[in-house]
Amino acid sequence: MAFRSRRALAVFWKDFLDLRRNPVLLLGMAALPLVLVVVPIIVVWTYVRDPNDSNLRVIALYYDPTLPLNANAGRFLVERTLLDWFGMFLVMPVFVPILISSQSVAGEKERRTLEPLLASPVTAMELVAGKSLASLVPALIITWMAFVLLCVGVDVVAWPLGQGPMLPNTLWLFGILVLAPLFAFFGNGVAVLISARVAEARTAQQIAALIVLPLVGLVAGQVAGFLHAGPVYYAVQGGVVLLLDVALLWASVRLLDRERLISRWG
Amino acid sequence: MSGISVQGLAKRFGARTAVEGLDFDVRPGEVFGLLGPNGAGKTTTVRMLTGLLQPSAGEARVWGHSVRTDGEALRRVVGLLTEQPGLYERLSARDNLRFFMKLHELDERQVWPRARSYLERFGLAGRENDPCGGFSKGMRQKLAIVRTLVHDPKVIFLDEPTSGLDPESARTVRDAVAELAAEGRTIVLCSHNLAEVERLCTRVAVVKGRLLAMAPVNELRRTGSALEVKVEGEAERYVQALSALPFAPNVLAEGARLRVMLADEAQAPDVVACLVGAGARVRSAVPAQRPLEEVYLELIREGRV
Ligand SMILES: Nc1ncnc2c1ncn2[C@@H]1O[C@H](COP(=O)(O)OP(=O)(O)O)[C@@H](O)[C@H]1O
Ligand SMILES: [Mg+2]
Repeated sequence: MAFRSRRALAVFWKDFLDLRRNPVLLLGMAALPLVLVVVPIIVVWTYVRDPNDSNLRVIALYYDPTLPLNANAGRFLVERTLLDWFGMFLVMPVFVPILISSQSVAGEKERRTLEPLLASPVTAMELVAGKSLASLVPALIITWMAFVLLCVGVDVVAWPLGQGPMLPNTLWLFGILVLAPLFAFFGNGVAVLISARVAEARTAQQIAALIVLPLVGLVAGQVAGFLHAGPVYYAVQGGVVLLLDVALLWASVRLLDRERLISRWG
Repeated sequence: MSGISVQGLAKRFGARTAVEGLDFDVRPGEVFGLLGPNGAGKTTTVRMLTGLLQPSAGEARVWGHSVRTDGEALRRVVGLLTEQPGLYERLSARDNLRFFMKLHELDERQVWPRARSYLERFGLAGRENDPCGGFSKGMRQKLAIVRTLVHDPKVIFLDEPTSGLDPESARTVRDAVAELAAEGRTIVLCSHNLAEVERLCTRVAVVKGRLLAMAPVNELRRTGSALEVKVEGEAERYVQALSALPFAPNVLAEGARLRVMLADEAQAPDVVACLVGAGARVRSAVPAQRPLEEVYLELIREGRV
């Protein structure tokens, strides 16, 4: 069976149209990015507000006891916050595709639209490709838009530190351009596979959302100082997710066929 | 090769056999009924014939395409109306149709006029741009029928097209199906509704886990026969005697009339003799056609549960 991109694009077109008319889902998708942008801006603002506050130095020393006496504690903390928040920010490209793909695959079963769809010439692979695209594209657009807002917000608030813009920096650009697509692919792949096995979108969403927990756990570890996140750490994380993506792709090709998709609702 | 040919088709889900031993042919231009109660395996059969499920045994060809090996080619020539209309409710009627045109890689500008002519005939013209979430059940079902037609399929499978509809919508959907039949389309209609099959189909297969009977609708009605006997006085009192006959026929008594179901016309003289023996004064005894419902119910009772 040949892969016909026209049919995959038809699925993409339909899902995208459907998403645009789904205010509940759009709202759900907007909530997380909003938090992920607004919270760090507020945190940065509290550090910048009074750079001579002696408490700042105390907090900074907690993170790094070797901090030189003449270092600017405020700036140190802002940089530290942005580094930690980076991991948190990457939850977004995982989470948004989970929301969309659960709806679009298990949702088709739930609303009984999958059977007419599978009775058309579209192949299971084209279906998954179209649906994945319809979830990856919005997820990355949202992530990138949120990133632009974050950069503008942080730079405006941190301007008084007076050493030029703090964002974007190389790490963040690497994260947004390389890690985010890998993470999005991961979230989508998990959601699609789970959606294929369960009957309801809500169930698929909940199970798939569980996979975000380890990621949040890692970030929590970072903030608490157990993990020392840095470029190497994130590069390793990227490599691991890349391997997981390949595994998911392999599993999807093997596990998703017409009969399995249709039989799982009896 | 046109038409449908089914040989020894069976589907098992684990240990459970949904349907087995199906053999039938559907000729081009025919409206073929698959009649059977809920759980008889109609949907399973249609799913096998549209390439959605792989048969566990047997083979079927639809317009020459094997359901086992030519799934994609098969799906290009069939149209399936599923039990639920399965429309995208947030999308307009038009976008629902456009999606399927795209899936069939058709040029919208070329096929839209035909789709629109069906929308007009089914009373949906003017609603193309409304989200179909706001449509009534009957409208949805008719839109779903138009959707099964966008690629001008050789054969359409209609799975219980009127179940769950109110009588009024059911009638408009039936009229729509009758129009398609009048166009000479090949249709396989699944139903548990006798009147519907009787009105729309030329030939019918009665199924319940397996094939119980297959005949043109009016011939099926003649399967077995009945004898209508008029006696003097209350007919009721002879029911007992008749039931004691070796072939124990089903008997209905109403006033002075008896309706005796026969497997064979050769049983008629025994019935009359029995009545006379029981002291009945027989005024008349005429052969009658059994109502289709009776034939159907009897077949279903004989069929495996
Ligand atoms: N995916 C499935 N898994 C297990 N059993 C099924 C499945 N689909 C149908 N069945 C069983 O097969 C039998 C026939 O079902 P179906 O074809 O839907 O009948 P009908 O359409 O005539 O009502 C039923 O007993 C049903 O429970
Ligand atoms: Mg059914």
